[in-house]
Formats: sequence, C-alpha cells, structure tokens
Amino acid sequence: MSNKNPQELVDRYLQAVRFWLPNDRQQEDLVHELGEDLRSQIEAKEDELGRPVNQAEVAEILKRCGVPMVVAGNLAPRRYLIGPVIYPVYRFVMKMVLLWILVPVFLFIVGPVNLVHAKHWSEALAETLGSLWSGWFISAGIITLVFAIVERSQAHVAAVCKWDPLTLPPLRKKQERQPSLLKAACEFGFNIVGLVWLLLVPQYPFLALGPAAGILKAGPIVHTFYLPFVLVSIVALVRSAITLARPQWTWFPHLSQLTQSALMLILLNFMIEAITKTPGAWPIVMLQDAVRDSPKYLKVAAIVNMSILISVASTWLGLCIAAILQTREFLRSVRKRISAPQRSAFIGVQ
Amino acid sequence: MSNGTENVEVFENLRLELRRGCLSLAVLTQLRTERYGYTLRKALADDGLEIDEGTLYPLLRRLESQGLLVSQWREEDKRNKRFYRLSPTGEAVLGQLLAEWQRINTSLDKILQEA
Repeated sequence: MSNKNPQELVDRYLQAVRFWLPNDRQQEDLVHELGEDLRSQIEAKEDELGRPVNQAEVAEILKRCGVPMVVAGNLAPRRYLIGPVIYPVYRFVMKMVLLWILVPVFLFIVGPVNLVHAKHWSEALAETLGSLWSGWFISAGIITLVFAIVERSQAHVAAVCKWDPLTLPPLRKKQERQPSLLKAACEFGFNIVGLVWLLLVPQYPFLALGPAAGILKAGPIVHTFYLPFVLVSIVALVRSAITLARPQWTWFPHLSQLTQSALMLILLNFMIEAITKTPGAWPIVMLQDAVRDSPKYLKVAAIVNMSILISVASTWLGLCIAAILQTREFLRSVRKRISAPQRSAFIGVQ
Repeated sequence: MSNGTENVEVFENLRLELRRGCLSLAVLTQLRTERYGYTLRKALADDGLEIDEGTLYPLLRRLESQGLLVSQWREEDKRNKRFYRLSPTGEAVLGQLLAEWQRINTSLDKILQEA
C-alpha cells in the first residue's frame, strides 16, 4: 500500500456512496458534504500524528464511517416502495389474490385439467405446482407494481387528506360489537365483484372453467340453480350495502347473516339432492358437443364434476358450522339488547 | 440466550428513541454558533454526544427543510464547506424546546426521586 495518494481512496469511497444514492439534485450535495467531513477527519488525524496519513489510516477512517451502501441508505431521504399508509391494504390484496383466488383456481380447475392431460399424477402435480408458483410470482409482481405506482403518485395522500372525522359512524352502544367498516366495505366490494362475475359467466364460461371452457359447458343443474344463486347474491349485496350504510344497526348484521346462511343452505341442499338424484352422466358440467365422445375428455368432465361436488358439499358443511356460530352470536346480541336498558337505567341513577 | 439478545435489542431501540429527540435539541443548541458538519460533530462528541455522519447530515437537512436552520456553501482553508446556523424561526423554536426540556427534566427528576 502506498501513502502517496490516500485521497484516491476517499474518492473511491465517495463514488461508491454516490452509486447507492438516488440520482437527484441532493446527490451531489450529500456526497460533497460527506467528502468534506472525511477530509476534515483526515486532517485532524494528520494533526494528531504530526505527519501525512497513509492508506491504511484512511481506510480505518472509512471503515468507521461505514459500508457505502449503508451510509447512502442513511443519508438519502427515506423512501418506500410500499409505504406504511397503504401497506395494510397491500397485504390484504396480496393475501386475497395469492391465497383465496389463485389456490382454489389451481386446485379445482387447473389441477384437474392437468391431471387428465398428464401421463402420471406426479407429472400433473409438478406442472400444477409449477404454474401456481409462476402465477404467484406474476400476481405478486403486478400487485406490487400497482401499489408502488400508487405510492409513487401519492394518490393515497389525497384520500387520507379528504378524511373527515365528522363522517365517523355514531358511537356504538356499550357492549354491542359493531361490525368493522373496513370489513363491511370489503364485503360489499366482493359481493359486487361476485355478482358481476356470476352474471358474466353464462356469456363467458372461461371465467368459471378457465382453459377447460373449450371442452366443457354448463350442465342442467347449473341452468336450474343459476337464477336462485343470482338472487342469493343480490340478497348478499343488499345486505352488505345496508351493513355499510347503517353501521349503527348493530342487530342487523347478525340477523341478516343468519338469514343469508339459511337461504344458502336450503339452496345447496336442493342442489346436492338434485345432483345425486340425476341419473346418468355428470350433471354439473358436460362435454361440449365437439368432444362429446372423447374418452380422455370424459375423464376431465368426471374430475371437474367431482371437484365441484366436493366443493359444494364442503361449502354446505362450512355453512352449517357458520350458521350455528351465527345463531349463537345472534342470540347473544338479543340477550344483550334485552339487558341493556336495565343496565343503562342503573348507570343513570348513579 | 434469546431472552438476553431480545433485551439488548429492546434497550438499543429505546436508547435510539431517547437519543433522537435529544440530538435535535443538541444540534440546534450547538448551531447558535455557525458551524460546518465536521466541527459540529466534533463539538457534540467533545460534550459526550457522539453522532455519526449518517445520522447528522439527514438530521441537518430535515431541520433545514423545517426552516429551523439556514446553510451556505463557503470556502474555508481552500475547501468548500457547508456552514449551518440557526434561523430566526429556529431560535424561537429552540427557546420553546429548551423550556419543554427543562419541564421534562424537572418532572423526570421528581419521578425518579419518588421511585
């Protein structure tokens, strides 16, 4: 190591810091100021030693200053790809898409289709998992990109600024749990999406069947139960709209949820009965006329029908459990409403 | 072992939190006299408050953007240096902060004596 030009080491260090700093008008300013600080430190060291510093001594000063990337990170203004304001929404959307949309689509549609085309189930599993993995990456990338653009454009700031405390819902009654507004808003949004999806499915079957829409079409059961499902979806949409518009009606969500679950249970009950009683071929989805006689696609239809039947039965089971819990919640809220006036009177006397 | 590490982390976080406010106050107080970055760091270190470059310079920029400091690039000893000093607004805010600091200090002393 030579002690001829320790300044060169400082310049190399500053160059490395500059590389990690955002390329804006502050960059040069920050690098210049840091350089000045380092040179002052070198000068102080030289005064202390009574001689010019060598490269090792300069390296010691730079080492104490820190790794260029870390120093640049500390010097630069804080920037987020997804900031703390929109991060909860980002996490929510990510969870919804990656877990609750992609997984069921791959489990019930893409998986069975791959199973039919593959020579062995392990090949189908590998292909499905591979596609799911790519789907996760692409979806996560797109969601992150959209949120990063929102963050960059500061679009959410306007929404935060427009917030008015006067629009807050009235104070809830003591001991009565009011449904979260965010939950009600999400429920409303998803119900709209669900209803639109349901209305579009007859015209665009690929929305429900994905790539299998080329070989499959809706069976008689779907035609019979389509309208009742649309009606239940409209009921769900109206219910979530009322919950959102009237959060002070704390009795409403429990009662309406229970009613909706009961309606859905009745409908699913009829549907399962109809599926099991229909003779002959699978009644939920059928093969398109063009491939009606293909034994390979018959297997596809069988697998998809079975998957749908299992989903319907699982939903029925889940709804039974939900209905029990909702009944308990409803009875609890009724009990609280009955006992609340007495308690209020007691507090009033005090 | 993990408990000990957690305690160290908790202490470190709380220490940084405690230092953050104090550093702003110390920097504003030191800049009643005009200084450039290195001499400011040295003055603070001499008084027992070490501060690294990565903390000081962003803090100076933040205080300047808040209108509490004014800065100027000027040549000294044949080198360009950025000098900082308290702005009139900074002087007023520093007065308020020092009064607040005294109040907190008195309260804390009282609380610590009671404990």
